[in-house]
Amino acid sequence: MNSSRTDAARRQKFDQLVVVFHADMYRYAAWLCRDKAIAEDVVQEALLRAWKSLDALRDEAAAKHWLLTIVRRENARHFERRRLETVDIDNLTASQSALLAEAPDEQRDELREAIYELEDEYREPLVLQVMMGYSTSEIAELMGLKQGAILTRLHRARLKLKDKVARDNQARDKQE
Amino acid sequence: MSTANEMMNCEQYRQAVAAEPAFDGAAEHVSVCAACQAFRDEMRALDAGIAKALQLEPPTLTLPELPTIDVQDNDAQDNVVSLASRRSLPTPGWIALAASVMLAAFIGIRMFAGVDNISLADEVLAHLDHEPAALVVSTTPVTDARLASVVPATVAHMDHGAGLITYARSCEINGKTVPHLVIQGERGPVTILLMPDEPVAVAETLDGDNVHGVILPVGNGSIAVIGARDEPLERIEKSVLSSVAWST
Repeated sequence: MNSSRTDAARRQKFDQLVVVFHADMYRYAAWLCRDKAIAEDVVQEALLRAWKSLDALRDEAAAKHWLLTIVRRENARHFERRRLETVDIDNLTASQSALLAEAPDEQRDELREAIYELEDEYREPLVLQVMMGYSTSEIAELMGLKQGAILTRLHRARLKLKDKVARDNQARDKQE
Repeated sequence: MSTANEMMNCEQYRQAVAAEPAFDGAAEHVSVCAACQAFRDEMRALDAGIAKALQLEPPTLTLPELPTIDVQDNDAQDNVVSLASRRSLPTPGWIALAASVMLAAFIGIRMFAGVDNISLADEVLAHLDHEPAALVVSTTPVTDARLASVVPATVAHMDHGAGLITYARSCEINGKTVPHLVIQGERGPVTILLMPDEPVAVAETLDGDNVHGVILPVGNGSIAVIGARDEPLERIEKSVLSSVAWST
């Protein structure tokens, strides 16, 4: 009886984690791999791994960080030998372009494309800072880098996006 | 980043702001440098756009097939559980299985039917269960930069009148990113959730296992205030309401 209670409690704990953090896991995976279908696969693998090692999660306050770390590792496994550093935005697969296709919003879509085109090293800390609310020291810990390196990457990422936005605005002005 | 770093030049200031648009140091410099003010405003506007662009719609949740874990086995804490370690379900196991099915159905209903079946109050209380680290007694305030990062100017303006803010993190309630703050009350930490896109018609009482609180209607959104069962919340509710203003 105790065992079944423990099993049920374990499953309940897992289900609650999934309900709360599934969206964050998916969005993080999607911006890491830039492919809707692969992101869904990565999240499935991450959920399975989280289920298997759930008892290692001693501190529930760290659950989000723990799950995102698992997503990060699963994504790395997926791309272990064929990690894509750059993607030509004009030559995307259906699953890649599906990531960018939602209800149209010109400015949001341009910025989304610009984020999509950022190199991994710039895109990931930006996602963690802006979307996940991580501090630069937390990002440094997750990515295994020094805080100074994270600050530099964030600085460069925003300048790249700023330049891209400026170019898009100029192009729009010319068309008008 | 600290506010002590007042002797920055333009280049240093812009590097800091581009790395963290909520950076609030070098106030002396930026107060007299219009170009840096403009750069800071541009970075903050860019960040609001980035936040919007990053919000992808997650797919419907489907769980993978979950193997049975022998929780008595320390190996369960490893990352791999082989199929051979599966055990047959004794009769009481069906209880667990039934509970799992119920929970899976709960998740399925929530995902397929949207959030209408789960009240905002339930969502708020469930969220609290998952951030117990927020509920520690502390006298260390979050930095202004952290607060500005979690409560961006595009979402709300918030001053320090609400109390000593010791925790600030962006969290998700009903699929929307919301600022999750903690201030220190008389009996311990008090959670504040700023939900500009979650309207409630009237104040809703929250009643959890060891906590109580309220979701207050504020403009087109709402603010949840939750504390320990014996925490007097009225004063905190008033101070929060007077220190927060939605930006839209």
